[in-house]
Amino acid sequence: MSSGWSLWVMFLVVLNMGITLFLFLWGPRAKIPTLPDGTSGHVWAHGVLREGVRKLPLWWLLFSASMFVIAFFYLYLFPGFGNHKGALGWTSHGELAKAVAANEEKLDPLMARFRLYPVEQLAADPQALQMGKVLFQDSCAACHQRSGKGNMVLGAPDLTDNDWLYGGSGKDIVTSIHDGRAGVMPPWASLGEDNVDNLVQYVLSLSGSPHDEAKAAAGKPLFATCAACHGADGKGNQAVGAPNLTDHIWLHGGTVADIRKTIHDGRQGHMPVWSPRLTEDQIRIVAAYVYHLSHPADASSQ
Amino acid sequence: MAYKHFEAIEKHAGLLGILIAVMVSLGGLAEITPLFMEAHSLKAPPGVHPYDPLRLIGKDVYVREGCYLCHSQMIRALRFETQRYGHFSTTAESVYDRPFQWGSKRTGPDLARVGGKYSDDWHRMHLMNPRQVAPQSNMPGYPWLAHDTIDAADVQARMRTLRRLGDPYTDADIAAAPAALAGKTEMDALIAYLQGLGIRNEPTATAGTPTTPDDAPAGTGGAP
Repeated sequence: MSSGWSLWVMFLVVLNMGITLFLFLWGPRAKIPTLPDGTSGHVWAHGVLREGVRKLPLWWLLFSASMFVIAFFYLYLFPGFGNHKGALGWTSHGELAKAVAANEEKLDPLMARFRLYPVEQLAADPQALQMGKVLFQDSCAACHQRSGKGNMVLGAPDLTDNDWLYGGSGKDIVTSIHDGRAGVMPPWASLGEDNVDNLVQYVLSLSGSPHDEAKAAAGKPLFATCAACHGADGKGNQAVGAPNLTDHIWLHGGTVADIRKTIHDGRQGHMPVWSPRLTEDQIRIVAAYVYHLSHPADASSQ
Repeated sequence: MAYKHFEAIEKHAGLLGILIAVMVSLGGLAEITPLFMEAHSLKAPPGVHPYDPLRLIGKDVYVREGCYLCHSQMIRALRFETQRYGHFSTTAESVYDRPFQWGSKRTGPDLARVGGKYSDDWHRMHLMNPRQVAPQSNMPGYPWLAHDTIDAADVQARMRTLRRLGDPYTDADIAAAPAALAGKTEMDALIAYLQGLGIRNEPTATAGTPTTPDDAPAGTGGAP
């Protein structure tokens, strides 16, 4: 606040306090003309109600006086009187810094302990899981659901099935959270509608799903294009996040229509980058919780 | 001041009303006027730029659809807020928000730094029907945004108006708007606006401001 506005605020505070203090001091001393019957002569309802002249009760005077004392002390101790910062140096940002420091002090021993273990071992620590669950619900559940079962319409993978697009070690999970992931399945509409249909049947055959033999056979040579990412055997490639096509787990749905759309139009997967929002410690804790989702036995055996 | 003055005030309702109004307005004059006047001299900090045409119309869609009725864009300087949402909001971050979207009503979460937290596809599904991604959500869907197109001339007029109010749009910025908006729907605009919220605007920690775990500048992350 500029000094001009500071003076403006000071002036208004003095004016306000001055007027009210004057009224408070003068009011009880004011000479009120009193009639012989002890009233002021003010009447209502044709004289049924008359205004008596009484002294203010002592409790009211003391209470009001204390209000002025408190106001003076408040303006001395806290910010409020223009640019005067207050004797206590109170600021909301200072309060925040204190609260953050107190919280960190409370969590430090816990974090120090968590740092001793790899993520896989952390996944067996009930306190880490408790903390990880809260972080997961706030940050991850929007896409992966509160249960961690994922969202097939969005293409957010199921985290409970121990089937991993980018690897399921603690280190891999930390990397996925820390740096995010961008999955790209290119569109193959250029192959032609019949070829796409044949490929769909071949992809279904890879996992032993019900399929059309003739079309699958016709689609097999075309899979050479797909093999670049999904591997010749269709088992996928975690280095590029290409899903395994031979298990019955489908990222974007396993119906003929779903697979056709995946091949024809391509798919985009987007795992956001979490390093700006979560600390390194928090990322490891979330990773431990995610690891635990697909390894529940590890947690119960500890 | 004798009793007769007091009596005069008490017996003339008009005079009494005026003097009451004077006393009641002292607080407002002290608290609101200085901030109101100084807000006009506030300069945009580094990293805060006027909205590009798509985000600008996205912001206006946000206001038109009443998103502010349930979502604030003001992270308060309290630990449980900075821990969840990031660095507390500052006035300088909102210099190009007309009207600003601070708010105090949170039926849904605060959105001041939501940019990059979710993918564009997530936002699209969520705006079409929030239950698709958040089963417990009570937010309404906004499916009509997906086929509402944007009138580029209208956006250019808005940019010219904002320039008159002091936003530094150049003639080239305004001329480039139709190209930036070609083929875009209001859904695209709203998502672009949401994805830009807070990303590059987080104030860097300065002396006196606390360093929370969420303080780290978000410049590198999130933007798809």
